[in-house]
Amino acid sequence: MSLEEATTHATRRHQLALEVKTLLVDRLALDVDPASIGDDQPLFGRGLELDSIDTLELAMAVEDTFGVTLTDDNTHSLLSLNRLLDHIQAEQS
Amino acid sequence: MSDHSPAAAGAVLSADDIARLLPHRHPFFLLDRVTALEPGTSAEAIKNITSSDAVLAGHFPGRMIYPGVLLVECVAQLAAVVYGTAGALRATGEIVGDVADRVGYLAEIRQAKFLKPVVPGDQVVFRLQSGARVGGLISVTGQASVGSDPVLTVRLAVTERDA
Repeated sequence: MSLEEATTHATRRHQLALEVKTLLVDRLALDVDPASIGDDQPLFGRGLELDSIDTLELAMAVEDTFGVTLTDDNTHSLLSLNRLLDHIQAEQS
Repeated sequence: MSDHSPAAAGAVLSADDIARLLPHRHPFFLLDRVTALEPGTSAEAIKNITSSDAVLAGHFPGRMIYPGVLLVECVAQLAAVVYGTAGALRATGEIVGDVADRVGYLAEIRQAKFLKPVVPGDQVVFRLQSGARVGGLISVTGQASVGSDPVLTVRLAVTERDA
């Protein structure tokens, strides 16, 4: 991967991260600034403190917005923001 | 499809059929008839609102309005019918079976809008569409109308228990 390709990839990843963070905050009515959510932050437990019921809403939001389906086979993709970004990018490529 | 014979014309499932599928009983048995059904996917049901319903004596004296929360419960019970018939079909090949002990639970109510009061004499038509499933939770979309007037739109999350 060239430096230019790496820069493009990183920029795209950063933009996607911000989109997903904004989606999280909007759809789950979180009282946080999207920009304050870290890319490695766990989404459940002591992370954003989402619960199991939020999983369904988050999966629907991701499908509505990015056309990417989350099922029982890949709910591990919801453990952190980075894992979710990996899943979205893998499904879209 | 089942060869059972609902008592009333236009019924896919009679009240007696619904009672076999659901654990609910008076005063919390709310649906009168299922008029369209695709097990596991969608359904339509009716409920007739009557002034003799005990809940209307207190909601409200002198101004009877069927409680919005009970309209939401009707949608939840219709969801139980949709998944209960799917479970009965898998287990027995019939859409009506004794699956009441396997009915799941209401997990979340989202975006409930009560668009018009429902009063005695109204026949409420409920429609339900099943949505996404993740981790034992199912999203369902419900609407209710009286004649051509929408009275409720709501999204629920319900749990499904193994049939």
